[in-house]
Amino acid sequence: MSTPGTSTEPGRNENGPAAGPPDEARADRFVRELAELKIPDPAAGRAALWLRLGAVLMAAGVALAAAAYAVSHGTRDPLLQRDAITLGLGGVTAAVAGSALFLRYSLTGFLRFWMARQSYDLARLADRLLEREARR
Amino acid sequence: MSALLELRGVRAAHGRITVLHGVSLSVAAGEVVALLGPNGAGKTTILRVAAGVHPAESGRLLLGGRDVTGARPGDLARAGVCLIPEGRGVFPNLSVRDNLLMMTFAGRTRAEIEEIAFTRFPVLAGRAGQTAGTLSGGEQQMLALARGLATDPAVLLLDELSMGLAPLVVGRLYEQVAEIARQGVAVLVVEQFAAAVLGIADRAAVLVRGRIERQGDPGDGLRAELSALYLGSAT
Repeated sequence: MSTPGTSTEPGRNENGPAAGPPDEARADRFVRELAELKIPDPAAGRAALWLRLGAVLMAAGVALAAAAYAVSHGTRDPLLQRDAITLGLGGVTAAVAGSALFLRYSLTGFLRFWMARQSYDLARLADRLLEREARR
Repeated sequence: MSALLELRGVRAAHGRITVLHGVSLSVAAGEVVALLGPNGAGKTTILRVAAGVHPAESGRLLLGGRDVTGARPGDLARAGVCLIPEGRGVFPNLSVRDNLLMMTFAGRTRAEIEEIAFTRFPVLAGRAGQTAGTLSGGEQQMLALARGLATDPAVLLLDELSMGLAPLVVGRLYEQVAEIARQGVAVLVVEQFAAAVLGIADRAAVLVRGRIERQGDPGDGLRAELSALYLGSAT
C-alpha cells in the first residue's frame, strides 16, 4: 500500500543536528545517522552501580575513620596509633571519593530536569516580553 | 528497501519473568505492521525494546541494518525512532501549543512544528491555547501523533492508538497513520483490537505469551484465526 523510501516530509531545520542533502529520503538519512551513531559500551552506563558504590564508600569511609579514631585513643602503642592514623586517612579519602560519586550520579538526573525547566521558563519569559513590546 | 526496524531473536524480561521468548520481527520503510495479541502478550515490551527503553536480555535490535543493541534511547530518538506510548503521552497541564513547543529539541522550530501539526490535524489549531488535559481523547491522541511527527520520525512505534476512543475517531487516526507511512516512515502499531488496524496494515503479526504465533498478510485468513490465537487453541 505504501511507497517505500519516498519521504516528502521537509528536512530538518538547517541548523539542526541532522541536516543533510535536501533531496535525501528520510529512510536514507536515518541509515546515515545511525551509521554515525556511537553506541556506548554498556559497562559505561551503569549509573546505578556507581551510585551504589558511592554510597557504600561514603558510609564505609566514615565508619573506618571513626573506628580508627577509637583505636588510636584506646592504645598507647605508637605503632598501633600510626596504623590507626593511616586507616583513618584512608577512611576520610574513601568517604570524600564516595560522596563525590554519589553526588555525581544522584544529582545528574535532577539537574538535567532543572536545566530543562529553566530553559523553558526563560523561553516563556522572552515570549511574554516580546508580546508586551509588540502591544506597545 | 530493506527493513528499517528489525528485531532478531529478542528475549526480554520484567524482573525474573521473561515476557519475550525470541521474537523476530521487521518493518520496512513505508510499511505498516500491526502487532496484535491479547493482554499481557508482551506487545508493549516489544515497542519498548525497539525504542531502546527496555533492555533485551539477548537477541539483537537492528535499525537501518545497523546493530544498535544497547544504544541509548535518547540517541535512537534523535536518529528518528519515535515511540508514542499507551495513554497518549501528552503533558496534560500544558497547552496544546506548549506541548508542541516541547518537541523543538529535535531541531525544528516552533513555527515548523505548528505548521506540521495544524496542517495534519486542523482541529488542534483551534485549540492551540487549550490545556491538553481538557481535550477529548481523540484530540489528545492527535496531539500525541503531532508531537511524534514533529520529531521527523523514520520509525514510528504506536501503542494502543485506539484505547478509549470511539470507532469513528479511531478510523480517522488510522487514516493519518497510513498517510504517514506513505511518506516513507516505518510504522509498527500495537493493538489489542484488531479490526481497527488491519484495514491499513501491510502485514500483521500475532503475539501470544511472548512468541509470534503468526505473521503475514492481514487478510481474512488472519481475521478468522485471531480468536483461536488469542484464546491459545492454535497449534
